[in-house]
Amino acid sequence: MISRQFLLIFFFIISVFSIQSQDENLLKYKTIPFALKENANAVIRSEIIHFEIKDYDQMVYTNKRIVTILNKEGDSKQSAFQHYDKNTSIKRLEARIYNAQGEEIKKIKEKDFLDVSAVSGGTLYSDNRVKYLKYTPTSYPYTIKFETEVVYKSTAFLYGWRPIEGFYASTENAEYKITNLSDAKVRIQTLNFESYNINKKSEYHFIAENLKAIKSESYSPSFKTYAPYLKATLTDFNMEGVRGVNNNWQDFGKWMYDELITGTEALPQTVKDEIRQKTALATSDREKAKIVYAYMQNKTRYISVQVGIGGWKPMLAKDVDRLGYGDCKALTNYTKSLLTEVGVVSYYTVVHGDYDIIDIDKDFSSLQGNHVILSIPDEEDYVWLECTSQTSPFAYNANFTDDRDVLVVTPEGGKIVHTKVYTADENTTENKAKIQLEATGDITAQVEIISKGARYSHHYYLENELEKDQKLHYKESFNTVNNLEILSVTFNNNKEDIVFKEKLDVKAKKYASKLGERILLKPNVFIMEEYVPPRYKNRKLPFQISRGKVNISTFEIELPNTLQVEALQDSVTISNKFGDYHFSIIQKDENTLLFNRKFKLKKGDYTKEEYKAFRDFLLLVAKHDKSKIVLKSN
Amino acid sequence: MNKTLIVIALLIAQFTFSQDFKFGKVSKAELEEKQHPIEPNANAAILYKNQDISFVYEQGAGFEQENLIHERIKIYNKDGYDYATKRIKLYNESLTTKDNLKGLKAYTYTLEKGKIVKTKLKSDAIFDEENNKYWKTTKLTMPNIQDGCIVEFKYIVKSTLLSIDDILFQKAIPINKFDFKVATPEYYKYKAMSNLKATYIPEFTVDKMYKKVMFKYTEAANSNKAVTRGTYGGEASRSETYTNEIDVAFNVITSNLENIPALKEEILVDNLSNYQARLKMELESINYPNQPVKRYASSWDEVAKTIYKSDDFGEQLSKNNYFKKDLDAILQGLNTPEEKIITIFNYVKSKVKWNNLYGYYTDLGVSKAYKEGSGNVADINLMLVAMLRHSGVEANPVLVSTKSNGIPLTATKKGFNYVIAAIELPEGIVLLDASSTYATANILPKHILNWQGRMIREDNSSTWVSLQPQQISKQISFLNATISEDLSITGKVREQLTSHLALSHRQEFNNKKDEVLIRDIEEGKGDLVVSGLEVKAAKQLLKPILISYEYNLQNGIEEIADKLYFSSLLFFTPEENLFKQETREYPIDFSYPVSQKYVINIKIPEGYEIESFPENEKFLFNGNDGVFTYLLNHKDNLLQITTNLDINKTIILPQDYLEFKKFFDLVVKKQTEQIVLKKM
Repeated sequence: MISRQFLLIFFFIISVFSIQSQDENLLKYKTIPFALKENANAVIRSEIIHFEIKDYDQMVYTNKRIVTILNKEGDSKQSAFQHYDKNTSIKRLEARIYNAQGEEIKKIKEKDFLDVSAVSGGTLYSDNRVKYLKYTPTSYPYTIKFETEVVYKSTAFLYGWRPIEGFYASTENAEYKITNLSDAKVRIQTLNFESYNINKKSEYHFIAENLKAIKSESYSPSFKTYAPYLKATLTDFNMEGVRGVNNNWQDFGKWMYDELITGTEALPQTVKDEIRQKTALATSDREKAKIVYAYMQNKTRYISVQVGIGGWKPMLAKDVDRLGYGDCKALTNYTKSLLTEVGVVSYYTVVHGDYDIIDIDKDFSSLQGNHVILSIPDEEDYVWLECTSQTSPFAYNANFTDDRDVLVVTPEGGKIVHTKVYTADENTTENKAKIQLEATGDITAQVEIISKGARYSHHYYLENELEKDQKLHYKESFNTVNNLEILSVTFNNNKEDIVFKEKLDVKAKKYASKLGERILLKPNVFIMEEYVPPRYKNRKLPFQISRGKVNISTFEIELPNTLQVEALQDSVTISNKFGDYHFSIIQKDENTLLFNRKFKLKKGDYTKEEYKAFRDFLLLVAKHDKSKIVLKSN
Repeated sequence: MNKTLIVIALLIAQFTFSQDFKFGKVSKAELEEKQHPIEPNANAAILYKNQDISFVYEQGAGFEQENLIHERIKIYNKDGYDYATKRIKLYNESLTTKDNLKGLKAYTYTLEKGKIVKTKLKSDAIFDEENNKYWKTTKLTMPNIQDGCIVEFKYIVKSTLLSIDDILFQKAIPINKFDFKVATPEYYKYKAMSNLKATYIPEFTVDKMYKKVMFKYTEAANSNKAVTRGTYGGEASRSETYTNEIDVAFNVITSNLENIPALKEEILVDNLSNYQARLKMELESINYPNQPVKRYASSWDEVAKTIYKSDDFGEQLSKNNYFKKDLDAILQGLNTPEEKIITIFNYVKSKVKWNNLYGYYTDLGVSKAYKEGSGNVADINLMLVAMLRHSGVEANPVLVSTKSNGIPLTATKKGFNYVIAAIELPEGIVLLDASSTYATANILPKHILNWQGRMIREDNSSTWVSLQPQQISKQISFLNATISEDLSITGKVREQLTSHLALSHRQEFNNKKDEVLIRDIEEGKGDLVVSGLEVKAAKQLLKPILISYEYNLQNGIEEIADKLYFSSLLFFTPEENLFKQETREYPIDFSYPVSQKYVINIKIPEGYEIESFPENEKFLFNGNDGVFTYLLNHKDNLLQITTNLDINKTIILPQDYLEFKKFFDLVVKKQTEQIVLKKM
């Protein structure tokens, strides 16, 4: 699902580079300012990135980078590597290693770099390769000086700049400069620069000094939202021989449509006839789209092959039809071609697919995103189709492409649209159970779990698991019930309404513990406990709850005649900006207890100061979830 | 056997007889099949596999290996689609030392409107990828894949190498029929060994056949080419050649198997491939007419000798010039062997760092590794042996197989992939691995705690040495707790970790800040707040690690109707039994014996008295293989709970699994039992 460009971006995040010979001091450990060592596994001593744009189809990139690695965790910041492909020539690649005193201990020439294919496990083939240095440090700290010079013929993608590379890395000195000798215009955008020590030397020249390391913290929003970041792009560019313009999303989208999509959509006549016939009786566009989506799901599978224009041009629709597979671009475009055939309008849509919510930047047009989906205009709104899944229900896009800005590519040009938001009240899980308690503490129960919205995809995959793994799933979900035995499991997957039902018959020996005459019972049996994130003495980052959810549990507990209630917990109701919690247990009659629990988590962005209150809320929930009732023998 | 079973058996037999396994002869019945007749859960199945390994004489090049593979795979559902993609790894060192993929043909068969449709794999779906200097991969994925379809591949991998890859008889999906044949010319002696630990053991027939070969060979050794993938090496020679037609005898091993069960995956297995049905073919010797026999391996003793003789092993041990001056200076004034051993061990560790490569042959060579400060396992540990010997300590290398390499069951060079050092002292053997920063004498990293290793002495004799740790690794935790009026609990914890538990703690936390360890302690324990953390002896590897801290726990006690309930181990209480599976296919591997002890002292708050508490109990698993005791004492307002869990056996066999699970259920249950206090 992940395109090659994404890999480039990704590697760039953990890397970055530099130029000219620097003061020898930078090679010594002891010259690192004290403040930069705090929370740092590596210190970027100096980094000079320079782009020289010679023409719309030629640019030279140089980087000279000196980084001191403080400990083993920092080894990943060596970042001495260079990606390349047939449109890239590496002119210079060299690294030198220095000990703590700044004495050179090793020199690595280009031929000594490892040269491997740059594909990740999910991709069958890509023609992108990478040369990288694998250095085993003999002691810490040590310093690497890495220099690279590369000539690119494709100019559609310019590395941006991250003055702070990522968590646990500080920056002593970093410089980014674009020299534009061409007629093409350069556009840049800077984010969060104001909160950091970054100076603008000229329009395309920046210097950052003494930026402290950032520590990772639970629930924090994506790094880009608070760290400094620079994006750059050319208004007139070359992508593997195809010239393009990019002044804004409108014309960049238009270029994508004309150069990447147009001419790829033709289908064989037999397929056209077949899909027309299948949709002949459909009365609405939505109904037709549903039939087409099911047809595509049945006929294809996801295989990632990244060749063709920079990994951005989809495979021909007729090839997808013949081969029965394709990557996200190919499958989306194939679905689009089928829809066009039956008269339904749809758009190729570029998105950043991730569980975390990551937008395509609406204010800055450039190559962004790592995934493609299909959008179908539906009155005022859109229907979003994930074409790489063979099992996903129609119009379901939770947990990967929901609630974010995406680029919709239309024949008239590109436009930014926000995808469907799955709200807390849509994302529900209902746990219902009838529980029979015996005097021995054993329980038997009939449990039903109904999940909807974003929660649906956390459950429906179970249907296709092996029975052994299904059982293990429940034992892990209800992990506080020791000796849990799963007697039977049945599922009902209602794809039409996107509702998944699980029905279980279970028993557990000695679930309730005996204390002499008494029995101690935790009524909250069949619920996965809420995760309580770590405590921070001094939190630095804001936090985010990216998706809301609601969990409602109603359990009816049947007591044996020999037991009677000694003590029940009082009901609890908590309500705050993070969510709601309700817990109650009441005695319905002599032999029946009714347990109710509702937990709601609201989507939202919060400040670091609010984190403690959020954690306290979850702690309180965890405490009440664990509370027990006392029963006594008659 | 009851009647239905017989009927099913007959049906299956019927079903297999009616099939035609010639390439391309896919039947409608095969395409119509909805699920596997024996393993209905299977997502795919190999309906037929033929593997034929032969050696073909090429003029001027000698015998070359041809490995023919023909596979017909049924794909039942979407989870089986992965079997439509194939990755063929090919050795690619040089023009003369490489594998070649030949004659690849592949089709997908589907049933459309009752008719069989064939779709051919075209070259646009075949990709070559260079992985590194030595390997490339041909990747292909089949067109037109649908539920119920069948894919069929046929290809030959032609190799200039004599080493034969392991033949795998078991996959994650069932194999209905497997015809296997390997025919090796008489000049190459291979030792064939089946994996006896597998849950499925194939039967083999051994035979001989004769074939006429137009033979052109040289007088001297033929070993002018690398025999195997980068390990054996070879020497050049030049001599007269002559041609002759000869009847060459071939040793033939065949196997015709049906209904091979799928290999089942499981957690906590040392290495699943240890249990996979396979045939290993190890080249023992090359014996050309009128030429001396070139031996590779036949017994463990031979294997050890062959390895020792190599330049990358034995010779590395005899070098000492590169360290002599440095080491002599360091050893000055040291007299006892113990002092020397510790000093040299630490010196090697500080001088040369492990580059994450395994191997019993040196990568860079000891002197280069010494100079550069990094090397593979052999560079480091052979250097260690050499230094120890130089100092007058009798040290020897021990060949080892890592867990990922499997247990060394059969006498082959592939059986090992690692080397450590051993010193034979009157008190027993001391094993050292200087490639692991925190390893100490006899406390070896977990990945090599794999049954036994082969020690090779200077006179080339060799013997087995056990790698199983004898020492029990201990965790002893003391916890003091005071319950205050608001029912919060405060106190202090002191914890001691020894041997392997100390090693794994050092590996995980020594490079990290205190806050990482604090978070690890607090994680999942509700509102536990840890302060004043102190870790002692983290870097003094010969001492146990001592961890101490203070804590505050807000919600550790539940108050219901004026009574206080809490479990006796407080935040050390385990929440769940880790062993949840109902049965087990393969053994559980704990690596080393463990003893875990908690001593908890709880001060009861003013105004409360004990109402009830758990009884003292002792549980046993399989004699003394597992022992758990729970002991509670109370005096005045003080409660003392002591629990002890000893796992004395490191391997739990599948047949003992249910008993073991029950034992653990009892342990967890006991540790979660509640103490009740009431108001006076």
